[in-house]
Amino acid sequence: MKKVLALSAAMLMASASIATAAQCTNDTWKKVMSRGKMVVGVKADYKPWGFRDESGNLVGMEIDMAKAAADAMGVEVELVPVQSSNRMQFLEQGKIDLMIATMSDRPDRRKIVGIVQPNYYTSGTNVMSPKALGLTKWEDLRDKPVCGKQGAFYNKIVTERYGAKVIAFTGNAEAKQALRDKKCIAWVYDDSSIGSDLSSGNWDDFEMPLSSEDDNPWGLAVPLAEKDCVFGNFMSGLSYNWLQNGQLIEWEKKWGIKATSFLADKKERFKDWLDK
Amino acid sequence: MSARGIPGIARPATTDLPVLLPIDPVKASGPDPYLLTRWLANIPLWVPALLALVVGLWPLAAQAAFTTGDAFSTLYRWLWFLTTKGFLFNVLISFFAMAIGTVLGAVLGLAQISLNPGVRMAAKFITQTFRNSPWLVLLYIVLLAFPFEIVIGDLIIPVPDWMKAVIGLSLPIMANIAEIVRGAVQSVPTAQWEASESLAFTRTQTLWRIILPQCFKRMIPPWMNWYAILTMATPLCSLLGVEELLTLTRQAMESAGNQPELLVPFYGFALLIFFAYCYPIARLTVRLERRFAVKL
Repeated sequence: MKKVLALSAAMLMASASIATAAQCTNDTWKKVMSRGKMVVGVKADYKPWGFRDESGNLVGMEIDMAKAAADAMGVEVELVPVQSSNRMQFLEQGKIDLMIATMSDRPDRRKIVGIVQPNYYTSGTNVMSPKALGLTKWEDLRDKPVCGKQGAFYNKIVTERYGAKVIAFTGNAEAKQALRDKKCIAWVYDDSSIGSDLSSGNWDDFEMPLSSEDDNPWGLAVPLAEKDCVFGNFMSGLSYNWLQNGQLIEWEKKWGIKATSFLADKKERFKDWLDK
Repeated sequence: MSARGIPGIARPATTDLPVLLPIDPVKASGPDPYLLTRWLANIPLWVPALLALVVGLWPLAAQAAFTTGDAFSTLYRWLWFLTTKGFLFNVLISFFAMAIGTVLGAVLGLAQISLNPGVRMAAKFITQTFRNSPWLVLLYIVLLAFPFEIVIGDLIIPVPDWMKAVIGLSLPIMANIAEIVRGAVQSVPTAQWEASESLAFTRTQTLWRIILPQCFKRMIPPWMNWYAILTMATPLCSLLGVEELLTLTRQAMESAGNQPELLVPFYGFALLIFFAYCYPIARLTVRLERRFAVKL
C-alpha cells in the first residue's frame, strides 16, 4: 500500500512538474533576450508619466521605468506609444513585450494580461468643477452632463452609480475646453492629474470638491502566459525593489508628481528588517 | 417669354444626336462627383489667410495665466516636429494608398467590363462593397485583423501600423478608381469600338491601343479628385492611434499641459497645412476637368 502511495505521489509530482514546464515556455523572455531588444508599450499622452518632449522623444516616469527594466535585463529598449483602447490587444498579440501604461489593475483586466504584483502606483477618481457650483457629494452629478475621456473605466462607474450623463472626448484639452464652455458641470478624471492642473494656477475658479473614489493601484503587465514564469517573476522582483529602495519615489520627485502616500506606505512596509 | 421657352437656353435641349455641350460647372444634373474638390478649389486664397489672422487675434477665453501668446509660442516650438513627423506621414500614407488603390482599381475596373459574366459580377460586387463601406470600418478591420509582423521561417517582416492604414485606405480608393476606369471606358463613343472591330482588331488590342489611350486623359481629373479626398481623410487613422499629424497634435497638446487655449492654434495649424497641400491639387483638378471635359 505504501509503495502504491509513494509511486502515485511520485507520478503526481512528475506530472505536476511536466505541467509547469509545459506552461512556462518563456517565449517572450527568450524572444527579448535573443534579439537583444525589449519592446515596451507606454503612454504618449499622459503627462508626466509618458509624453513627448519638444523634439518628439518619449519621456516621463514610466519611460524611465521601462528603460530601467531593459537595463536590468541587459537589452535595448524600444518604446511604442499605446492608447487605453489598444494597449491590452497589443500585449496579447505580442506587438509589445511589456506594458507600463498607467493601467489600473482591474479584475477583468487580469483575465486578459498578466498584471504583475506588487503595484507601482495608484490613483483615484475625482472631478474638477467650478467653485461656483459648490458640489459636495457624488450624488450631485445625477442627470447632469459630465465630461470625461474616452476609454477610462470610471466613465461607466459614474454613469451607473450616480446617474451622470458622461460626454467622452478623445483628448483632455477638448474635455477641459467643454468644461470651460459650460457644456458640462464637471470633468471626471484621475485625482493626481486634476491636482496638478489645479496647482498650475490656470484653474483658479475650479476645485476638486469630492472625496476620491475607487482608489485603484496601477499595474505593469507582461503577456498572461508569462505571468508566473521567468518574465513575470523578474518584473515582480524589479517592482518590489523599486518600491523597497525608494526608486519610484525618486522618479516621482524627478517628474514633479505630487507625492503619494501609496509609495511612502509601501516603502515603509517593505523596509529591510535589518535596517534600523 | 413663351411658355415653352427656347430649347438649350430656357430649358434643357432634347436631342439624341451628338451635340457639343457646354461644360456645366455646377453640375445641375445629377450628383457631382467633384463636390469636395470643387468646394475646396472655390475657396479664395484670402479665406485661409483671414482665418489664420482671426486665429492669431483670438480673444482670450478666460482670465487665465496661460495666454494665447503662450499657446502660439508652444505651437511654434512644436511646428517642426508636427510637420516632419506628423504631416509627412499623412502625405506618405496618402501617396502609398493612392498608388496601391490605383493599380488594384485599374485591374478591378477592367474586370468590370470583362466579357466573362463571372468575372464581371465578382468585380462589380467587390467594387460596390468597398465603395459603400464606411472608410473607418475598413480601417478598423484591417488594423485589428492584420498581424503586426509576418514570420516566414526565420525571417520576420514587421508590419507597422501606418502600413496597415495604407492598406485600409487603399481599399475604398481601389473601388472608386475602378468606377472611374469603367466610366471612362464607357464614355468613349461606341463608334470607336465598331471602327476598330471593322479593322479586325482583337478586343484586347482595341482596349489597349484605341480605347484606353483615349480614357487616360479624362481619368486624370477624377483621379486627382480622389487623391485630394484621400489626403483629407488620412487623419481618420488617428482614431486608431497611427502616428500621424492629428495623433501627434494631441500628444503635443498633452505635453504642453493640455490648456484649452492650445486647441485653436494647434488644430488651426493642422487645418492650414492640409489646405496648403490640397488646395493646389483641387485648383488643378478643376482646370484639367475643364480642359478634358467630354464634349459629346
